[in-house]
Amino acid sequence: MEKVSFIIAEKSFVIRTGLMKIINSFTETIILKEVTEYKTIIKYVNKLNPDFLIINLKFIEDAYDDIRKIFSENIKTKFIIFTGTKKSKEHFAYFDEQISVDDDKTTILKKIQVLISGIIPYGNEDNNELSEREKEVVKQIALGKTNKEIAEELFISVHTVITHRKNITGKLGIKTVSGLTVYAILNNIIEINEAS
Amino acid sequence: MLITKKTKLAEVIHQNYHLIPIITRFGINFGFGDKNVEQICEKYNIRQDFFLEIINAFNDEDYSPINKLQNLPLEITVNYLLKSHQYFNKVKLPHIENLISKLEWISAENKKNKSILNKFFIQYRKEVTEHTLHEENEVYPFIIEIEKNYNLLENNIDFSKLLENKSVIKYAETHDELNTSLLDLKNIIIKYLPPSDNIDITEQILNEIFDLEKDMKDHTDIENSVVIPVAIKMENELRKRFNLK
Repeated sequence: MEKVSFIIAEKSFVIRTGLMKIINSFTETIILKEVTEYKTIIKYVNKLNPDFLIINLKFIEDAYDDIRKIFSENIKTKFIIFTGTKKSKEHFAYFDEQISVDDDKTTILKKIQVLISGIIPYGNEDNNELSEREKEVVKQIALGKTNKEIAEELFISVHTVITHRKNITGKLGIKTVSGLTVYAILNNIIEINEAS
Repeated sequence: MLITKKTKLAEVIHQNYHLIPIITRFGINFGFGDKNVEQICEKYNIRQDFFLEIINAFNDEDYSPINKLQNLPLEITVNYLLKSHQYFNKVKLPHIENLISKLEWISAENKKNKSILNKFFIQYRKEVTEHTLHEENEVYPFIIEIEKNYNLLENNIDFSKLLENKSVIKYAETHDELNTSLLDLKNIIIKYLPPSDNIDITEQILNEIFDLEKDMKDHTDIENSVVIPVAIKMENELRKRFNLK
């Protein structure tokens, strides 16, 4: 399953740990990096290109221009600001969401949930059934065929085979050839004596 | 909690029983009474600083032992890694294999389920054994040699010649394959294997696999962030001394 990615930019260990715990309580999230120096924020956002950057407002006060700069260059990453105290609203126009130290648990969880469903819409993740084509590819993998052989057998390009394999792994949570072979046998896609 | 030399070992286990295999890996046996870490280490002739780093790292994911371990002799860390290999190969993997052989299904599919799961696990066990053997026979001895020569005052010509064709960098490989197989195994059992007739065995197997996964992760973390980088640093220094590239 595709994960919603975060970078957390927060100096305080206590607050960072709390934010990470909240983000990690969602199964569809992944934290790519904890940033504790504002100078490295731009580097990591550009390099890792996360869906969200959670950033302490204090960082922005220290380096407002720098942060604005990545904001204008990086269109993908959405900004969530963490505020320790109630501040004037003028900075806030540039951000997608705000979490305050005063928010209670339910409020924060709801905010994050809304942000996540903006990236992974509900309903999409339910369809983990393999398509007929994907089953065909699983069968060929379980028979011990290489990507090239599978491509020839099914009259598709090697590139398409690789895409199918990625999607299969995403749906099943199984990646290795031996693992897919077990799956194929359990689901009667191949017979046990056919396995490579 | 931070475990210190004054912490009682019995308390350590009460607080986190997952540390049991780590403690026994150091050769420590039960019945510690009220002895603390310092006293136990003295009794078993274990380096206390090393023991504390390993046990704290395993106890708390946020505890980073890297800096301190990098300053201890590599040989100590490598010896620990060798002991965890033994634990994986001689204790944990045979135990899981034995549990898998106890799974039963009433249906006619029994034989099939059993044999494919067994086959998958035996294949995985073989991969682990090959990987650990390679490290024990090739990687670790070479690293120990590097450290020995690094500590020598005079240049060893034979070793200098060896370094012309060999480098630790080659061994800085990942262990992705092994981790992926474990992930697959978990999903196969949790999601795809038909429910067995003895759920208690399935539960035990899953617990064992999750334990093994964590243990192996800590193991590879130590290899990748302590042993290999320190060995590379020493090797580079030796290359300078030998006037090698």
